Amino acid sequence: MQTALKYRSLLSVFVLTLAVAGYPGEGMAQRFNHGGFSRPAPAAPARVAVPPMRQEARPAAPPARPEIRPDERPTERPTINGGGRNIGNHDFSRPVDVHQTVNVHETVNVRDHVNVYHTGGYRGIHPYYYHPYRPYYWGPHWHPLGFFLTALATDAIFFSFNSQRYYYDDGVYYQPANGGYSVVPAPVGALVAALPPGYETTMVGNDTYYYFGGAFYVYTGQGYQVVVAPAGAVITQLPVGAVEQQINGDTLLVYNNTYYLPISQDGQDAYEVVNP
Amino acid sequence: MYKKALFFLSVCFLSAQLQAQTRRIDTVAVAILDRMTAVIGDLGSCSFTVKSNYDVSSKELGLIKHSDEEQVYLHGPNKLLLKSDGDRGSRDFYFDGKKLSYYSLDKNQYGQIDAGMSLMEMIDTVNKLYGIEFPAADFLYPTFVDDVLAESKELVYLGLTKVDGKECYHIAGKGADKTFQFWISDDAFSLPLKMVIVYTGREMNPQYEALLTDWQVNPNLPDAIFGFTAPHKAKKVRLVPLSHKK
Repeated sequence: MQTALKYRSLLSVFVLTLAVAGYPGEGMAQRFNHGGFSRPAPAAPARVAVPPMRQEARPAAPPARPEIRPDERPTERPTINGGGRNIGNHDFSRPVDVHQTVNVHETVNVRDHVNVYHTGGYRGIHPYYYHPYRPYYWGPHWHPLGFFLTALATDAIFFSFNSQRYYYDDGVYYQPANGGYSVVPAPVGALVAALPPGYETTMVGNDTYYYFGGAFYVYTGQGYQVVVAPAGAVITQLPVGAVEQQINGDTLLVYNNTYYLPISQDGQDAYEVVNP
Repeated sequence: MYKKALFFLSVCFLSAQLQAQTRRIDTVAVAILDRMTAVIGDLGSCSFTVKSNYDVSSKELGLIKHSDEEQVYLHGPNKLLLKSDGDRGSRDFYFDGKKLSYYSLDKNQYGQIDAGMSLMEMIDTVNKLYGIEFPAADFLYPTFVDDVLAESKELVYLGLTKVDGKECYHIAGKGADKTFQFWISDDAFSLPLKMVIVYTGREMNPQYEALLTDWQVNPNLPDAIFGFTAPHKAKKVRLVPLSHKK
């Protein structure tokens, strides 16, 4: 009898083993090597304390339900996973966790962007929100592309880049032309020591970009280097000279061969750099 | 001749090194996944349906496609109800913060595991100890983006497309032993709508595909649905950890 019971017990274990082992199929549903929960959870972000309820406007709580006192309510609403971690703060240099030789000094190209869709594929991460284009001027010292000056300020900085002569003054780039100086686009790769007041900063992933007068920069330690407009960057102003262009029914702005999608961010009119 | 061979080998070695040292991580893709993770991390409760298709390899017939449909109900910080129906049978999982209960409707038998822990700790622990996988659980991990980045040699935002009539962001990535694609809704909530994994490191490259529909954000889910009461005449059996299986 005891032997029979043992046999039945073992059979039960065996049956359920088979039932659970395959669920839902060859280890395919949880696919990534998650770090698990050995890492300590970060401290919960400080939140603004919930103001006391309008108790004076409410009828007194019935005595039968005293347990629902406001001071006993949890101030933190529990979430299903404790909150996402490292949002916008990823370590791109983290070695790839794969079974192959990967050099820790690998190059991480964080700006490549492809688009496989021809319809609407230019759109960025913000929804399209049309607002009229109002050309922006960055003060009296700033001049738009093509602007001609017969003389430059004495503190304009001369530099040579890619065998071309440039002058830089207050965020504007000039080249000699017709006996004077004409405003030209910021040459990509050029390095300037400082940006004038009024520049914007914009984040694309973990990278901080600086924007002034239609040009984007990254800070290199030696100064600010002109870069190609990064897809995904959001700026609030476009200089005079941008042209509206209809693409797939939407009105985009084109300035210096870069496409800008009109968007709304935090209730403000803005533009996002997109690849058409 | 020797020098030529040496030069050829050097070129091959350098070429392989250059290839191994290049990663392409699209920050737009990361930003989209970050937003999705932030939204999920802020949910107090949610429910959704997962329609999954997955390949099971057969030596005689090649890849055999199977499918399941699961209704998932989650309530923070420690409650889960999963009702699964499909090729693997009808089964339910209940987690009330103290025990994980597994019930097979087909066999009218159940097993329970003591699990006094948070929802994600339970999912992670039960997966590692018992091999039980929860559909689309990857998206629920608070470290999802970091985990994807850690496995990605390539991660690229491909553009906008539609899944089930809804406009969404299409993201593709490639790791050492798998390629993966995510479709994230282009709306206020940025919730995941679809996932495809191709296991390039496995024989015949089986695929896993999951379509996530019927998302409910912060629904009012009564505690009672997460509790399990064994049905009449249901047989209790013991769940066996992976380490005990041959």
